[in-house]
Order: sequence, then C-alpha cells, then structure tokens
Amino acid sequence: MDCCGGMDEHDATCTEVKVKDGVDAGTVAAAKRLESENYSAGFITDIEMDFAPKGLSEDTVRFISARKGEPDWLLEYRLDAYRRWLTMEEPVWARVNYPKIDYQAYYYYAAPKDSAKYKSIDEVPQEILDTYAKLGIPLREAEVLLGVEGAAETAATAREKPRIAVDAVFDSVSVATTFREELKKAGVIFMSISEAVHEYPELVKKYLGTVVPATDNFFATLNAAVFSDGTFVYVPKGVRCPMELSTYFRMNAESTGQFERTLIIADEAAYVSYLEGCTAPMRDENQLHAAVVELVALDDAEIKYSTVQNWWPGDENGKGGIYNFVTKRGDCRGARSKISWTQVETGSAITWKYPSCILRGDDSVGEFYSIAVTNGRQQADTGTKMIHLGKRTKSRIISKGISAGKSDNTYRGLVSVHKKAEGARNFTQCDSLLIGDKCGAHTVPYIENRRADAQLEHEATTTKLSEDQLFYVRQRGIGEEQAVALLVNGFVREVLQELPMEFAVEAQKLLEVSLEGSVG
Amino acid sequence: MSTALRDILRNPTVAELELVARYAGLKVDARRERLFEAFALTGLPGRRDENWRWSDFKSAVTALDAPKTPPAHDPLARGGVATLRFSPSGFAAPSALPAGVRLVTREDVQAMGGAEDVPLGALAAALSGTVQVEVSAEAPVHLHMVFQGPGAIHAARIAFLLRPGTELHVSESHLGGAAFSAALIEFTLQAGARLNRTIYQRGGAGEVQAITALIEQDAGAESVQTVLAFGAKVSRIETRLVHRETGSKATLNAAYLAGKGFHADITTHVRHGAPACTTRQQTKGAVLDGGRGVFRGKFLVPRTSGQQTDASMQHNALLLEEGAEVFAKPELEILADDVQCAHGNTSGALDGTQLFYLRQRGIPLVQARAMLTEAHIAQALEGAGEHEDALRTEASRWLAP
Repeated sequence: MDCCGGMDEHDATCTEVKVKDGVDAGTVAAAKRLESENYSAGFITDIEMDFAPKGLSEDTVRFISARKGEPDWLLEYRLDAYRRWLTMEEPVWARVNYPKIDYQAYYYYAAPKDSAKYKSIDEVPQEILDTYAKLGIPLREAEVLLGVEGAAETAATAREKPRIAVDAVFDSVSVATTFREELKKAGVIFMSISEAVHEYPELVKKYLGTVVPATDNFFATLNAAVFSDGTFVYVPKGVRCPMELSTYFRMNAESTGQFERTLIIADEAAYVSYLEGCTAPMRDENQLHAAVVELVALDDAEIKYSTVQNWWPGDENGKGGIYNFVTKRGDCRGARSKISWTQVETGSAITWKYPSCILRGDDSVGEFYSIAVTNGRQQADTGTKMIHLGKRTKSRIISKGISAGKSDNTYRGLVSVHKKAEGARNFTQCDSLLIGDKCGAHTVPYIENRRADAQLEHEATTTKLSEDQLFYVRQRGIGEEQAVALLVNGFVREVLQELPMEFAVEAQKLLEVSLEGSVG
Repeated sequence: MSTALRDILRNPTVAELELVARYAGLKVDARRERLFEAFALTGLPGRRDENWRWSDFKSAVTALDAPKTPPAHDPLARGGVATLRFSPSGFAAPSALPAGVRLVTREDVQAMGGAEDVPLGALAAALSGTVQVEVSAEAPVHLHMVFQGPGAIHAARIAFLLRPGTELHVSESHLGGAAFSAALIEFTLQAGARLNRTIYQRGGAGEVQAITALIEQDAGAESVQTVLAFGAKVSRIETRLVHRETGSKATLNAAYLAGKGFHADITTHVRHGAPACTTRQQTKGAVLDGGRGVFRGKFLVPRTSGQQTDASMQHNALLLEEGAEVFAKPELEILADDVQCAHGNTSGALDGTQLFYLRQRGIPLVQARAMLTEAHIAQALEGAGEHEDALRTEASRWLAP
C-alpha cells in the first residue's frame, strides 16, 4: 500500500519508503543528535525509591490508599472506580495509533524513600532539589525570584518580581510545596491533595469527582482508582490569590505510571492563576500518564490554568515517550465565572487531552488557547469541549497545530449549545501548519446548536509556511531553522499572549527547540 | 444464508429483520451477498455509529408500512427531456433516449467500490438490480430521474459512465412514497467529462430516505452538484467524491430547509487522490422549530498524491425559530504540506438589523424572514443552471406559504 491518507497507512512500511537512497548519513546522524540534545529534561535522577508491587489489582489500590493513610470513604471511592474500570474498554476514537498497553507492566506507585517524612524543604534530599533546580524550578523560597529561570531579563523588568508558589510532584508524591504559610495568611489553601484529604476532608469530599466523575471515561476511571498525588487549591470568597501557583510534575522512575489528581476551587469572586509544567527522563519504554484535573469556579470567580507540557516525546524512531491520557475539565458553576485554559503542548509520544469548560452559570465565560507542536513520531489528538448550558455564556477557542517530522496533529473540539443557553456565543479558530511533507494535520470540529439566538462561528485553515515569508527572513541573514522558529512564533502569537509572562518566555524557547531540525 | 446474515446483525430491529427477509427472497448471487453483508455489519446505522450520530436511521426506520402521505410534485420535470422512473415496483425508461446514450438494465448485481463506508448504499445495491447508462454523445445530454411511488421499501441503483469529453446534465427528484427508500447513484467521469447534477429531495414526515452518490473523476473532469433538500422524518444525501487524476474540479453546493418534524442531513466526503485538484463546497441551511439540519463534510488530502490541493468548505445555517437544531462537523484530514484547505462554519439567527430594516418598510415578519432566508440560500442554488428558478420557487413557497 502506498503511503497516503488514513491512520492504518501510517506504519513502519511507510517509513521505509520515505528513507530514500542517497540520503547523507551525516545529515541523518546530525538530526538524531539534534533530537537527543533538544530534550534537556531527559536526565535520570538516581535516588532510592519505594514501589508498589508491579501491576494493577485491588491490592494495588489498597496499597496506595494505605501508604497515604486515607480515610475509608476514599478507599471505597477508589475501589468502586477500579471495579468499574475492569468493565470498561479503552477508547479508540482518537486519531492516535499505539500498541496495546499492558496495564500490568507498570508500577502504580513510586516514591522517593522516606518521602512521607519531609517536614520542611531542608529534609528533601539534595538529588531531588538538584533535579528541580536543573529544570529551572528552584524549590528553596529564598531562591525563588521567578518560578521559571531564564525569564528574568524580560519579565522582571515588566513586572515587579512576581513570585510563584510551587508544588513539586516527583513520581507519585509531592515532595515540596513552597510559600504555603504566606498563602495561608491570605486564606488560600495550596497543598498536595494527599495532605488536603487529611487537613480539609470536607472540602475534598465536597468537590472531588464532581466535575470529572469516577465513571467519566476509561482513563479518568483508572485515575480515580490509583491517583497518587497532585495539587489541591482553594481560594476563598473574594480573595485574589497573591501569587501565581504552580505544580511541576516530574516522572523519574522506570516503568512507572503517573496518575496525578488536581482539584482547584475558586470560591465566589476569587481569582487564581495556576501553572503546570511536566517533564520526564528519556527512557526506551513507554511511560503512562493519566491525570485528572478538576476546576470549579463559583459566582464571579476566575481560574486561569496554563500548561507547558514537555513530557519526553520518544526518540525520532518513536521509541519510548510518554503516553499522555489526560482528562481536564472546568465547571463554571457560578454566574459570571470564567475559566481559561492555555496550553503549550510539545512533548509526549501520544497526547489525548481535551481541556473543557462546562458553562453552567449565566454569563460565564470559557476560553481555550492551545499550541500543539508535534515532531518526530509524535501523535497528538487534542482540543476542547465548550458546553453552553447557562444564559449568555461565551466561549472562545484558539488552537494552533504545528506538525513536523513524521508526526500527526489533530484538533478535536466540541461546541455544544443546549436549549436553555439563551444568547450563547462561540468563536473558534483553528489553524494548522505543516512543516515538511511527511506529517499530517487534522481538524475534527463538532458544532451542536440548539438555540436560534446563539451565534457560533468556526473557521480553520491549513497551510504550509509561506516561501515568501521564509525568503524575506532568510535574506536578512537569519539562518533557516531560526527563521522557521521566528515565523512559527508569529503564527502562534495569539496563544502565547495568553500565557502568564514567565511561561510565555519559557514557551517561546520550547517552541524554538521543538522545531529545530524540521527544515532542510 | 439469511440466518447467518441475521447473526451478523447485532440485536436486529423489526425493520432490519424485514430487510433480511426481503434480501432472502432475491436470487442468490455472490456479489449480492457481499453487498448485503457490508450493510449487515453496521445494520441500519444509528447514533452509536460515529458517522451517523446525528442521523439515527436505526430508530427512524420502524414499521415498514407504506405511508399515507401523497408524494410531492416534481418541480424539475421538463417536457422533451428523457425521464427515467424508479419506483418500489420497478424501473421504467422511455423507448427513445437521446443520441449517444446507451442504457442497460441488469437484474444481476454489480460490485461497487467502498461499500463498507456506505452501509445504506450497499443495502440499495444488494436489494436492487442495476441500471447502467453510458454517455458518449458529442453534444450535452439532458436526463431526468424520478424516485417516487408507494411501497414499504424502495431500493434503486443507477450507474453512469461519462466517456472522455462528454457532458451530462442530470436532474433527480426524490419525492418519497415509501416508508424507507435507499438509492445509490454512481458517476464515473472520464478525462475532461463534465457533469451537472441537480437534486430535489422532499420526503414525507413519516418517511426515511437515504440517497448515496459515489463520484469518481479523471483528469480535467469537472462536476457541479446542487441540492435542495426539505428532509423527511430522517433523510440523508451523501456524496462521496474522489479526484482520481490531476486537474479534476468539483463544486458541491447544497441548501436545506427543515420544518417541524423534518430532518435533513447533507454529508460529503471528498478525497483529493491526485495533485492539483480543486473542490469548492457551500452548504446553506434554514431550520424551523422542531426541525433538524445536519452537515457533515470531510476533505481527505493524502500524502504525496494530494499536493497542490485547493479546497474550501463553508456551512452557514440559520435557526429561524427557537426549537430548531443544527449540528455540523466540517472535518479536514491533511497529509500533504503544499495545500490550501479552508473550512468555515456558522450558525445562528437572522440578522436583527436586516429584519428591522425590512419590517419598518411595512413588510410583515414572515415575509421579511422569507426574503432574507431566500437571499441566504440563493448562492448555493446558483449552479443549478436551468433548474435554478424552479428550486428558488420551491424554496420561497416553503418560506412564505
């Protein structure tokens, strides 16, 4: 079969056809070197770990729950989810193709030895502190001027040294949470979800699983059974969170799945901006990541959730990489509430992720800004759902997909206006850019309108980089790779503008890195 | 054999069992069996099938009794144009056909390409013989087809072959009369051939209709398709077009108007299987309270062969009253980098300012709404040539009865 449309045709045979005779071996090797060098977060931290027994069973679930000393209701919640999960089938509708996952081949719990005892940052082993420092995330508060290094020159001049509180999750446990005390003075609860279960059980019980129920989908149900750690945030009524909050997820241990659970609640008229970053070492086997993120915004509250996802994407032959199956959903429960998702997706071998908004409160607003860059053999199927239930609800979707190498990048989105959503509005724009002739860009929008007074607009284009633009930049003496990065950054400007400044700088750098080696 | 096929169908409905019985009564034929099997793997498709999630034939096709609704009149009928008539009781053609047209009716079944993607097309092929029409005339040929008549099930199939450089103007009126009708119409356009296809569809509120077309185009071939659909209990007009050779062009326009209890589905799938082919697609819709409009469009641009594709897809729908529903999925699958592919989709109410402007000139609301809606859909009917006026008249009658 020749290599043309359809997922089944993206197979190994197709690759062999593509590698023609006469291709300079040096060029191939140089590209390979570039790819490996590109991923600066691919190092492994050598530290003694505690594991749950390999595989998944009721015992694994009980083991995780016992390790965290959880109350009975939570153990029951997990076990119910596990039993249901056994009856479910892995979804196949996404445009991604990967070998069948053996769920018994993973560790569902991995934590640095003695991690439960870390009372303060001084007890966290130096290896872990070094790991985060190397990733640009200093965990000692004294060192934290800007949460992300490298942004200082531009961001600091623009703002007055903003600080970011960080929750650092290392495999299955949270190892440190900074600025907790200072946040507490403002009434903001910021801690790992394992701690919140003990310290604020009523809040956790009230909101956990109310946005993404344990029955939601195959991966969310798996997460409900085995979730390990994640972040819990509660911003009380009328409080504007005094600093940016962030969680940095690091997968380190071999053959480990990470199943974090994040729950953010913004009470009436509260505001919080939350950032999330993720990296993992370069390993030859695929690692599993199935997270659930739930956001709840009450009357007049606003949550801004930004993600820079840079999980190890696997090598250029598609070996290794993270399988990223994530359920993220925000519930605009209150009137005039707002939830804004911004994501920069450059990593993961497989991405299956649709951060969504349920616009339940009247006049609530949902936003989704996304840049997804795929390279090598990556496959991304990502997008959003905007469910308009309340009156005069508004949503905006800006999605930019960039495909390079032999990757596939799919935008999949749903805009649904229900019968009671009087005067709902949506604007969707999704653009795709193809770099090279071996990649694919796909757009799968669903638009369901049940209101005559709703106004829904969708437009999308697929183009390649304009040769004129490239020539213009090149003739100014800018190298080809840098020129492409420049043009692509222009193309995704709208999305980057929505990121908190520190992350925007970081994301620009990431984007440049991700596109190196794509041209020429 | 029918027992085995019944086993393929999962939890068959009464209607599906009737279809199996109908099939079992036909002459045994290996090709027929393959076609029916292609249908049986899906059965009557319903909301659990991704391609049919908004057009649920499984629920819609209930008892297969001949409906009482009198069939609609035929606005495309024209004196002097040879008319082919399809009804549940058979096929009739005039004895004299235009010069350069050869018609063959075959009782045995002919194979079709891609039957697995079009379960209702495969069903139509399995339950009927084939009418084959070859066009080799130098002058443009005009033909008219009517699908109409009382009955429980109406299955029909016709295949056209347009020889190089020929031109066919074909109009189709799908007027209903049967509880469930499935028609399969195939066109093969050889190099430089031109096709102008106009479709008028109007089913009864108790009828279910599936009209499937497969179009294949060789180098430099060109097709222009114009649809005016009023829907039925559930109706779907599906066009699957393949650009097989360089420089092929297609225009796929449609307008749908769905009133209370009517469901109109326009589905297209275009494969740019050769370099430098062009597709222009425009679908306009208007829906009243209790009606549902569905648009599904897909451009597939394969790697290498799809380079220099130039394609655009537009769907604009008006929800004229509360209670109307419009569902759309304008999809792109692109595996080649040197292409231009665009799609746009809008849905909403009529512009209030425009309505106000007309009303303050003393035009009543219903009429003002009709004028603006007619203007909205008019663009999609422009390609119908000699039939444009007839289609616009039907549309305005519906809008302001």
